[in-house]
Amino acid sequence: MSAPRNTSDLAFRAAELLRAEPPWDLVGERARRFELHFQGREIELERGPITIEGYGVRLIRPRDGRLGVGFQASTDLSREGVAAAAELAATVSRHAEFPAKTVELPDGRPAGAAVDVVDPALWADPLGALRGYASDLLGAFEGRRGVVPSFGSVKAILSEVSLANSAGLRVAFATTRVDLELAVKAFGGAEGAPPGEFWVNESQRRLESARTRGKVDDWCRYAEDARRASAPPTGEVPVVLPPEVLSGILPPVIGSRFSGAFRLRKLAPELGSRVGNERVTIRDQGDFPWSPASAPYDDEGTPRGRQPLIDRGAVTGYFYDALYASAFATRSTGNGRRSSVGPTGWMRFAHTPGPDASTLVMDPGDGGTTQELVEAAGDGILVTQLGWAFPDMMSGAFGGEIRIGYRIRGGKLAEPIRGGTVGGVALSGPEAPSMLTNLVAVGREAALSDNLVAPPVLVRPLTVAGASA
Amino acid sequence: MTQLDGHDAELTRGLERLASRAPFAEMMAESGGGTSIRLDTKTTSVLPEPQLRGVVYRVWTGQRWAEAATSDLSAGGIGDVVERLSGELQRGHGTAPVPGPSATTRGHWATRPKRSLHDLGIEGTIAFAKDVLGWMRAVDGIVEAQIRLAWEEDERRYVNSAGADCRQTMVRTHAVAVPIAMENGRPEFDFWSRGGVGGLEAVPGLNEAAMREAAEGSKALLKAKAAPTGAMDVVLDPTVAGLLAHESFGHGTEADQFVRDRSYLKPILGQEVAPSFVSIVDDGALPTGWGSVYVDDEGHPGQKTFLVRDGRFVGALHDRVTAAELGAKPTGSTRRSDFLSRAFVRMTNTYVVPGPHKFEEILAEVKHGVLLEHGTSGIEDPAGGQMQLKVKRGRLIENGRLTELVGSMALSGKVLEFLRSIRAVGRSPELEIEPGFCGKGHTDYLPVGTGGVPVLSRAIVGPA
Repeated sequence: MSAPRNTSDLAFRAAELLRAEPPWDLVGERARRFELHFQGREIELERGPITIEGYGVRLIRPRDGRLGVGFQASTDLSREGVAAAAELAATVSRHAEFPAKTVELPDGRPAGAAVDVVDPALWADPLGALRGYASDLLGAFEGRRGVVPSFGSVKAILSEVSLANSAGLRVAFATTRVDLELAVKAFGGAEGAPPGEFWVNESQRRLESARTRGKVDDWCRYAEDARRASAPPTGEVPVVLPPEVLSGILPPVIGSRFSGAFRLRKLAPELGSRVGNERVTIRDQGDFPWSPASAPYDDEGTPRGRQPLIDRGAVTGYFYDALYASAFATRSTGNGRRSSVGPTGWMRFAHTPGPDASTLVMDPGDGGTTQELVEAAGDGILVTQLGWAFPDMMSGAFGGEIRIGYRIRGGKLAEPIRGGTVGGVALSGPEAPSMLTNLVAVGREAALSDNLVAPPVLVRPLTVAGASA
Repeated sequence: MTQLDGHDAELTRGLERLASRAPFAEMMAESGGGTSIRLDTKTTSVLPEPQLRGVVYRVWTGQRWAEAATSDLSAGGIGDVVERLSGELQRGHGTAPVPGPSATTRGHWATRPKRSLHDLGIEGTIAFAKDVLGWMRAVDGIVEAQIRLAWEEDERRYVNSAGADCRQTMVRTHAVAVPIAMENGRPEFDFWSRGGVGGLEAVPGLNEAAMREAAEGSKALLKAKAAPTGAMDVVLDPTVAGLLAHESFGHGTEADQFVRDRSYLKPILGQEVAPSFVSIVDDGALPTGWGSVYVDDEGHPGQKTFLVRDGRFVGALHDRVTAAELGAKPTGSTRRSDFLSRAFVRMTNTYVVPGPHKFEEILAEVKHGVLLEHGTSGIEDPAGGQMQLKVKRGRLIENGRLTELVGSMALSGKVLEFLRSIRAVGRSPELEIEPGFCGKGHTDYLPVGTGGVPVLSRAIVGPA
């Protein structure tokens, strides 16, 4: 089935109405959101369509050897509305300053990256597809004793984006996105243990009923294990981290420190410096299939591509949007992103672009399977889920509470653990130890989790704080 | 004249059409604006808030709620939403009465900032921000610094078929300063943050001395020892005590979690959970509180609700549905992030009420422990009752004296054990409310305030 055609030409229409000197660019977006909220195995609330249409206009004005950048977003699509937004952007541009003389915007109709980012069935019948997915998902809990889905939601965003600029760019694309949150609760039994919960939080580009159903057994086991889990040990211990945990640590830290914004402020690691051991190779890949961070173009209209960042531990590159690229006299790497708090891709028109990672891809290694990593750990822990890794984008520090994990004894998985904290420094200076310098084994198979593709890894050591010192 | 005035007729007509077909209908129309100004040593950014307007309609079908929203306030845009919900009503879901009491509040409220950034203008705000940046940069060893000054205006109109008609305009102002030091390729920072309802009067203390202190803090963190590891006595500073009140305890008091049977606190409502000198409050009516509201998104006025009073867990936060299910009253706690997001039971300003102990008395109680300072974030676990907070820095406590500085830490443990183990709560003449943003799950972020006074208890800490 072919991807649906983007029917929104909002940026093109606004470009026709815009009366402004170049350089400028426009983003238009028509987004529709549909939501099903669960209470137990019932649908508590159905929402949608939640529709928003808007555009953002950016004016870039050379001034005294620098650039004044003005931006304004609006939902007023009238001629007067576009004029008012442009006037506000012009006012802002007279006060803002960016250290570059010119900016090179993408032009014409460049071919975008060939990447799957639209779920055709979801696009064709959003609520119908969501209802079917929810029915499958909630049905997978039927007949289970002592485990229920207590609370959650599945939300779909169908977004049509158009981009235009004064260099002649006219491109458009569509995306779908699905966010699933689900609290899985284990309860009951004769032993009187308090309930246990496993919190599912996943983002993807498509509804995958079979894949999701395939995970329900694990979710239920984690919730049940949380009831009998004990505190982790205290000390410096080997830790096995799966992609689902790494995705809460590496993208926020590397996505900041390797950006043009951090480089401009001299807060990025030096080119060629060593930030990891020889097992660490990481790139930014904007066209990874079905990643929630993938798209044919970035949010400025530059085709998404691939950008090496770390090669066998050494820094090999950075990523840029058009503006920050201009500060370094280089070209955008297709990493212009209009970001917001909340679901990625929702209301991107309301934000000015900045350099940000798309999907980070970490090369697999020769550490084998998760089981082989566990064997290599000897005595340590496997962390299945952190409450939140609390990554510090500046210092690289991270650490959070273990929501569920397992003790490793004699190279085998043992009893479940919960509580306490595990932490360290994900990325440090060239001479200092960090998680990336302490990777003693990298697994063989990488998996996509949120906007990270990574294999499981064994880190020796990380600091674990358990029940007693 | 407000941003929504020109659309009143269409908005009301839409509600009337739905009210004629549904047992109950309501709408929340919203218009937002504001400006954020961010300076560092390289760039000056002026980021106007998007000029967003829209409406959400919600109807009771006789069995469940249904709602739809749009940013298109034309007759056609509103008509589409009304048609969609009318279709839902025609499917005939049931005859159950609408749950809980419908608000009948009527009124018009607006924040009147004393010193507004809007009046200061872009040029004036940038000039002030340059001063702040200069204060941080004047400290040797600060390689970079950032200052963000922001204000936002959020206008909401709530109307329902029971007669409520509320207009409120909230103005919030927020300032964050981040001086950055660096050593051997490793950046480090401390920070200063304030915010509240109102203008610059809601961010007191943004001055040269405070910026110097933050800058010295960033430099000191480069030399800080690693955080201690394990279970020990902990003293929470007011920012961390606020996070405890909100993240660790407050989320478990949101009564929608009671209805879902997903709160560890549900079975112990009415019981003693802490010593008698411990009280925790959620107060949506707190003047200048960052999370305050005049009325919530079901039309109920913001109010002060004791969650823990004199050590006893006495109250939960309710919307109309949870109030109906649990025999309580709505507490002005129903909030939508915006017109695009659903309403949930949410907190407003949550804090630990000042207690009887001087700070020196609290320290004297600790033989070996750590003072946790500058809370940055936390995450809730309403089902499991675990706590998880992160702080930017700390100080070791040895024999009642503050000693060495330590780096960022995570705090963990069981909330109820922590509360029962509280040995002291600080006294304070003034309560400071810190600005923050809170999600329900991983979405639906909105402004919430947290605060309190120093608290002494016992927990697990580790580097983070």
